[in-house]
Amino acid sequence: MSLELLISNISKRYDHTTVLTDCSFKFESGGIYVLTGPNGSGKSTFLRICALLETPDSGEVKYCSDGQLLAKDISLRRRITLLLPKIGVFNTSLFNNVAYGLKIRNLGKNSALRVAHALDFVGLLTKKNQQALTLSSGETQRLGIARALVVEPEVIFLDEPTASVDVRNTEIIEDIIRKIRKDGRSIIMTTHDMYQARRIGGKLLVIKDGKIIDHPG
Amino acid sequence: MDFIVEGFAQAFSLIIHLDPELLNIIVLSLEVSGIALIVASCLGVPAGSALGLKKFRGRGLLISLSNAFMGLPPVVVGLFVYLLLSRRGPLGFMGLLYSPSAMIVAQAILIFPIVTSLCHSAVVSVDPIIRQAAFTLGATPWQTSLTVMREARYGILSGIIAGLGRAMGEVGAILIVGGNIAGYTRVMTTTIALETDKGNFELALALGIILVIISVLINIGLHLIQRKGMVKILR
Amino acid sequence: MRMRKASLLLILVIFSIALTYAQAPSAEIICASTTSTENSGLFGYILPIFEEKTGIIVKVVARGTGAAIEMGKRGDAHMVMVHAKEQELKAVEEGYFVDRHDLMYNDFIIIGPENDPAQIKGLKSAHEAFSKLFDTKRFFVSRGDNSGTHTKELAIWKKAGLEPKGQKWYLEAGQGMEKTQRIADEKRAYTLTDRGTWLATKDKDNLEMVIVLEGDPILFNQYGVMAVNPEKLKHVKYKESIEFINWLISKEGQQAIGNFKDKNGNQLFIPNAQ
Repeated sequence: MSLELLISNISKRYDHTTVLTDCSFKFESGGIYVLTGPNGSGKSTFLRICALLETPDSGEVKYCSDGQLLAKDISLRRRITLLLPKIGVFNTSLFNNVAYGLKIRNLGKNSALRVAHALDFVGLLTKKNQQALTLSSGETQRLGIARALVVEPEVIFLDEPTASVDVRNTEIIEDIIRKIRKDGRSIIMTTHDMYQARRIGGKLLVIKDGKIIDHPG
Repeated sequence: MDFIVEGFAQAFSLIIHLDPELLNIIVLSLEVSGIALIVASCLGVPAGSALGLKKFRGRGLLISLSNAFMGLPPVVVGLFVYLLLSRRGPLGFMGLLYSPSAMIVAQAILIFPIVTSLCHSAVVSVDPIIRQAAFTLGATPWQTSLTVMREARYGILSGIIAGLGRAMGEVGAILIVGGNIAGYTRVMTTTIALETDKGNFELALALGIILVIISVLINIGLHLIQRKGMVKILR
Repeated sequence: MRMRKASLLLILVIFSIALTYAQAPSAEIICASTTSTENSGLFGYILPIFEEKTGIIVKVVARGTGAAIEMGKRGDAHMVMVHAKEQELKAVEEGYFVDRHDLMYNDFIIIGPENDPAQIKGLKSAHEAFSKLFDTKRFFVSRGDNSGTHTKELAIWKKAGLEPKGQKWYLEAGQGMEKTQRIADEKRAYTLTDRGTWLATKDKDNLEMVIVLEGDPILFNQYGVMAVNPEKLKHVKYKESIEFINWLISKEGQQAIGNFKDKNGNQLFIPNAQ
C-alpha cells in the first residue's frame, strides 16, 4: 500500500476568480496532512482536484506507486476516496449505503461482515437497518466515513468533516480519524478550525494566495 | 330519475354476479393498457433518464418536445395511428387496424411522453451530491447513472403510474384504431360510450363504476408513492 | 344616454328571444330509422318533398334497428322506420306502436375481399355461403346490434344450423353498416350488407371488396313504418307522424321512393305498400 500524490503547478479559476495559482505539493504515502485556511480560500477545490473529481485548468496531478506513474483510470479511482462536506447519502438502509462500494466492485457477496465491521468502526452498527435519511448530520458524516472505509482506500480525502456537526459527534469523528491514521492510510483533510487541526496532528498546511505552503509555526 | 336508480341497481347486479361479458371487457382493458404501459416504460424510462443524466446537443429540444407531447390530444393520436395502420397507409401490409395491437400502439404512443418527461424530472431532481458520492466511491459512469436512477425510483414509478392512469381513462384513440368490436377491441371506456349511445345504461354504469374505482385506486397508489418519496426529500 | 343604450339592448334581447320562440312551434317530428337507410340518401331525397307539401319537418335519427325501436318505446322518437318485420310486429303487439305498414324493400348481399379466399362466388344460397365461411374460419364481421341487417344475418346462420357467436373469426362490430363494411375491408373479411349502403359507400370509402353472393330469396329486406302509440306516451306528435306515414304509403310517397336513385343511377328501394 503505497500511493504517492504529486501536485505540480496546478491552477484553477471559476468565472473570474482565480482560486489556485501555480500550486505544487508532494503527499507521501501513509502521511496525514491537515490543510487549513479561511473559507473560500480554495481548500475544497484543491481537494476535489486531488480526488480527480475535477480537472485543473493547467498543471498536473500525478499518482505514483513504487515509483510507477499510474493512469488516472477507474482502478486508480477505486484506491482513493473523497468525503464531501455534505454527504450524498443514498435513500436506503445504512447497511445498503455501506455495502454500495463493495457492490460496485463486484464484492457484494459475503460482504455482510465487512459492512458490519465498517459500521462498528464508526459506532453505527446498532443502526444498520435504519433508513439512512433519518440520521442526524453527525451520524450522516460517520456513515459517509464507514461507506468510504469499507472499500479500504489507500488515500482518504476529507473536506471539512465536522463543519455542520455537533460537538459530541465532532469528538467521535476526530477519534475515528485518529483510528484511521493508525491503519497506515494517507489522510488529507481540510478544516477551518485551527484547534481541530492541532488535535488531529500530522503535517499542518495552509493555503495562501492560491498555493499550498507549510504552516508557519 | 327512475331509470337512473334502476340502472344502478342492475349495474351492481352485474358486478356482484361477475357477469362474464363485464369481466371480459375489464380484462381486455387491463391487457391493452397494461401492455401499452410496459412498452412505453421500457422506452420512456431509459429515454427520460438519458435526458436527465447526459448532456448532448439537442437535449433541450428533446426535453421540450417530450413535455409538449404530454398534451397530445388522444383522439389526434388515434387519427395518426389510423392513417399509419390502415390498408392504404404505410404500415397497412401488417393488417393491424381494428385489432388490440393497434390499440396498444396508439396508447403506447400516447403515454410515452408522459413516462419520459416525468422520469426526466425525477432524475433531474436528484441532488447532484449523489452523483458526486457515487463517483468518489469508485463508480463507473454507467454505475453512477444507475445509482441516480435508483435514487429517483419513486419519481420514476410515479411517472409510470401516471401513464397507466392516462391510458385506462382514454377513449378517443382506441375507439378510432380499435373499431370497438365486441369481445375483440371493446374495452371499458369504449363500451361505456357505445352502450350509453344505445341506451343500455346498466352495462355502461357497471363499467363506469369499475372504471372509477380503478382510477381512484391508481391515484391513491400514486399519492402514496409520492408521499413516500417526499418524506425522504425533507432532509 | 347610458339608460337609452341599455334599454335599447334589452328590447333587442327580448325581441330575439320572442322571435326564437315564435319560430319554434313549426311542426317537427323525430323519426328513428336505421343507419343503412340514412346512408343510402333516401331521406335526403324524400323529406324535402314532404316538407314542402305539408310544412312538417322530419328529423331523422339513425341507429341500428334495435336501438331505433327502443327510442320509439322510450318516446325519444315519434315514429320509426326500420327493416325487421318480426321485431316491428312484436313491438306493435306489445302496444308500443300503432299504424304499422309495409313500406318498401331492397335486398341484402354478401360482400368479401376481392380475391374471395373462402371461394363463396358461385354458391347459390346464403346459408351455404355461411357454412363455408364457418368451415374456412375466415373473418366475418357482424353488425352485432339487433339491427335489421343483424336480424337477417342471424336468420341465415339459423338456417345453416350454425352458431357463430364466440368463434374467434366472428367479429361483432356493434356499429352502423358503413363502419361494419370498413372493418371488413380492413380485415379482409366477409360481411352481410344491404345493397343500398353498399352502392352508396363502396366508392366513397374505397372499399377493396366485391359482391360474392346475391339473389337468394332469404336476402329479401322488407322495410316498415309505425307510429309511437300516443296512448302509451302522451307527448308524442301522433298527428304529424300519421300524416307522414300516410304520405309515405300514398301513391305520391311511393312514387317518390321509387324515383330515388343513387348517384350511379341505381334505384335502391322498391316501394311495396298495400
